[in-house]
Amino acid sequence: MAPPSAELSHLPKADGSANFSFGGYTITAAVNGPVEAQRRDENPFEALVDVNVRPAAGVGGTAERQLEAILQPALRHLIAIRNFPRCVVQVTLQVMEAPENAYVNSKVMQPRLNLGIIPSLLHAAMLGLLTAAIPLNTVASATCLAITNADEGTAIKVDPSRTEIDQATSVHVLGFTADGDLLLAESEGSFTAEEWDRVLQTAENVCCRGQETGNDAEMGGYGAESENVLHFMRSVLEAKAAESLHWR
Amino acid sequence: MPLDTSTYSLALLRIDGRRWNDLRRLHAQIHTQEAADGSSYLEMGHTKVMCVVTGPAEPQAGQQKRGTAGGGGAGALGGGQKDAASIVVNVVVAGFSSVDRKRRGRNDRRIQEMEITIQKALAANLHTHLFPHSTITVSLHVLSQDGSLLAALINATTLALIDAGIPMTDYITACTAGSTSSYAAGDDSADPLLDLNTQEEQELPFLTVATLGDSDKVAALVCESRVQVSRLEGMLVVGVDGCRQVRRLLDGIVRAKGSKMIKEGVVQRSDLMAVSLEE
Amino acid sequence: MPREAEPSLSERTFTLQAISEGLRVLAKVSAEVTVPFPDRPFDGIFQITSELGPMVAPSYEVNRPTETEVLLARLLEKTIRRSGALDTESLCLVAGQKCWSVRVDLHVLSADGNLIDSACFAVVAALRHFRKPDTSIEGETLTVYTPAEREPVPLSWLHSPFCATFDFFGDEGDIVVVDTTWLEEQLRVASCTFSLNKHGEICQISKLGGRPIEATLVIQCAQMALDKVKEFTDLLDAKLAEDAKRRDKGGLMAELSAENDR
Repeated sequence: MAPPSAELSHLPKADGSANFSFGGYTITAAVNGPVEAQRRDENPFEALVDVNVRPAAGVGGTAERQLEAILQPALRHLIAIRNFPRCVVQVTLQVMEAPENAYVNSKVMQPRLNLGIIPSLLHAAMLGLLTAAIPLNTVASATCLAITNADEGTAIKVDPSRTEIDQATSVHVLGFTADGDLLLAESEGSFTAEEWDRVLQTAENVCCRGQETGNDAEMGGYGAESENVLHFMRSVLEAKAAESLHWR
Repeated sequence: MPLDTSTYSLALLRIDGRRWNDLRRLHAQIHTQEAADGSSYLEMGHTKVMCVVTGPAEPQAGQQKRGTAGGGGAGALGGGQKDAASIVVNVVVAGFSSVDRKRRGRNDRRIQEMEITIQKALAANLHTHLFPHSTITVSLHVLSQDGSLLAALINATTLALIDAGIPMTDYITACTAGSTSSYAAGDDSADPLLDLNTQEEQELPFLTVATLGDSDKVAALVCESRVQVSRLEGMLVVGVDGCRQVRRLLDGIVRAKGSKMIKEGVVQRSDLMAVSLEE
Repeated sequence: MPREAEPSLSERTFTLQAISEGLRVLAKVSAEVTVPFPDRPFDGIFQITSELGPMVAPSYEVNRPTETEVLLARLLEKTIRRSGALDTESLCLVAGQKCWSVRVDLHVLSADGNLIDSACFAVVAALRHFRKPDTSIEGETLTVYTPAEREPVPLSWLHSPFCATFDFFGDEGDIVVVDTTWLEEQLRVASCTFSLNKHGEICQISKLGGRPIEATLVIQCAQMALDKVKEFTDLLDAKLAEDAKRRDKGGLMAELSAENDR
C-alpha cells in the first residue's frame, strides 16, 4: 500500500488546514478556532468541539452524523478545552476521494457506516489541529483492522481494502494517544473476546510501535518496518516548520 | 399552446393587440392601507401586486438575525445595522396567483433571489444613513401573475416607499423587454418587444431592467433566457425607454394623489410646494 | 486575468478542483440509475448542489443557507441547468421507469473573491470530464456495466457556459474590475454576472441591485465577457485534451469506445 501523504496549511482562509491521503482516501481538514461560541451553545467552563464531516457526493446523512459522534469525543479529549471557556473549535472534514472499485458500480447514498475511513479522518483532523496551533494535551493515531476467516483459523489484516472489509467477519477501529492509552474503539460484526484481545494487541503494536526506540535514525525512512503514522505526522510537520523558517 | 410569433412582423400587432413598444395598462394606487406607513397597489396588465412598507422602525428581535446573516457574506450593501437602516424585503406569492396553483414555500430560491434583488436595489437608492439603528420592512404580495413580475414588484415598492415618505435619490422603475423569435433562429433582424406577458415570456428571450429616474443608469438587470449577445443592446435600449414611460406614469399617480390630498385638506398646502394644482 | 485558473483533474474519480490563488472549489459528479419524475418521463434527473460550510469562514453554519449561497445556487442553476448545457433527454433509459440521475456536489474549500466564476468553471469542467457507466438494453432488461467490463461513456454535452463577473467601483460606478479578491468585494458598489458560451449566446445576466450603472457600460461589459468566456473555453479544452491523452494509453480508446459522434 502506498505510504501516506499530506499537505499542510493549503487553505489560506482557515486557521489551520491539512490534506491527508492514505489507502485511497483523501481528506481535507479545516480547523477554525478557538472562536467565540454562539450564545445558545456556549459552555462557561470549556471549549466546545464542533466536528463536521462532509461526504464527497450527496448531502451528509446518518452515517456522517455517526462518524462525527465517534470523532467528537476523541478530539475533545485531545484538545486542551479547559483553556478556552466560551469558545468553539470548528473541525471540518471534507472527504475528497474515497477508494472506488472498478468491479462494482457504487451508489451515491451510502447510509451504512464505513469504519475504514475513521483513521484517515482522525489523522487529517490531527494535522489540521496542529497547523492551527491549537493547544493539545497529546496527539493520537488510529488504525483499522479486519478479521477474516481463512482456512487455518482467523487472520487479522491491518489497513484492509474495501473488498477485504466487505468479506471480513468483523472490522475494528482503534485509536491510541501518543502515551499509548486507548482513545477510541469502534467495532462492527461478530467476534469473540479472545479475538478482540488479539485485535487490541495488534493495533497497539501498529500505533505505538517504536515509541520507546523512536530515535532519529528511524524517523527518516518510510520502510515497511517504520510505518508509523505518528512518525509520519512528526516528519511532515518538521519539514513544514523547516520550510517556513527557511528565511532565518 | 405555443405562441406563434411569425405574425408579429407581418401584422405589427402582438397576441394581445399591442404594438412592439406599447406598455400594458398600468394602473396604480398609493396609500391603499390606512394603517400602514406606506402602501401601494399596482397592476401591469394582469399582474397585480400589493406592497406595504413599515418603518423606519426599531428592529424586531427576529429580524436582527436575518440582517447579520446577510452581512456575514460577500454582500456589503444593506448590512451595517449601526450606521444605516437595514432593509428587509418579504415577497409572498399567493397560491391563486397563477394557473397551476403551485405551492411555494418561504425557502423558494427564485423568490429569495427576487427579495435580495429588490433589497440591494433599494439599499443603493434610499438614504438609509438618515435612520441608524432601524429597519425598513417591505412586504410584497403577489395577487395575480401575468409576466413582468419582478418589474411590477419593483414599481410597487417605489410607490409604497414614496407614500411612506422615506427619502430616496429618485424613482426606481422597471419593466421587461424581449426579442421576437427564439434563440434557435439566428436572424439579427429580430424586433425587440416591450413589457411581455406570461405567454410571451415562456416563448421568447427577455430581460427585466430597472433604471434610476430619467437617466440611463441600470439599477438591476436580470436575464434568464438564452439570447444572442448582439441582441442585448436592442433589448436594453427598449427596456430603458420603457422604464422612462413607467416613471412618467408613476410620477403622474404620485402627483395626482398629492394634489388630491391637499384639496381634501389632509395635508396643509405650503408655499414651498412646487406642485401646481390646476386641473 | 490576474490570477490563473488551474484545474486539476484526477484519474478515476471524476472530480475537479479549480484552483486559483487563495480560492479552491471541488466539484464532484456522481450518477446512479433511478426512477424519473412522473411529470417528466422522458427526462433524466440533473441537479447541482452547492454548499458553503465552516471551512470557508466560521460564520457559515451548516444547514443555514446565507444570501451568498442562495445566489450561487440560483446562478449555477440558471447558467448550467436551465440553459440546457446537459441533454437531459439522453439520460433517459426506459421512458417513465428508469433514468440516470446526475448530481454535482460543489464544495467550496476556500473562498477569496470571485466565487461565482470559479464555481461555474469547476462544475462545467467536472461534468465534461465525468464518465458515466455504459448501459445496454435487451428487451426488458437493463444492464449497467461496471468500469472494468466496459469503458464508461461521457455525458451528452451540448454547450459550455461560463460566468464572467464584473465589479464596479467608485461613486459613479464607472471603474470596472474583473476577478476581484474578497477584500475588493467588500468595497464594490455593484456587480454584474454574465453567463455566456463561446458562440456568443447569453444564458443569464444578473445585476442584482447595487449602485446604478450606465447602460452603455453594461453593453461594453457583455462584449468583454464574451472574450473572457472564449479564454475559459480554450483553457478547459486544452486541459481536457491533455487528460484524454493521458488516459488513452496506447491509442486503443477509439476502438474500445462504443460512443458515436453526435
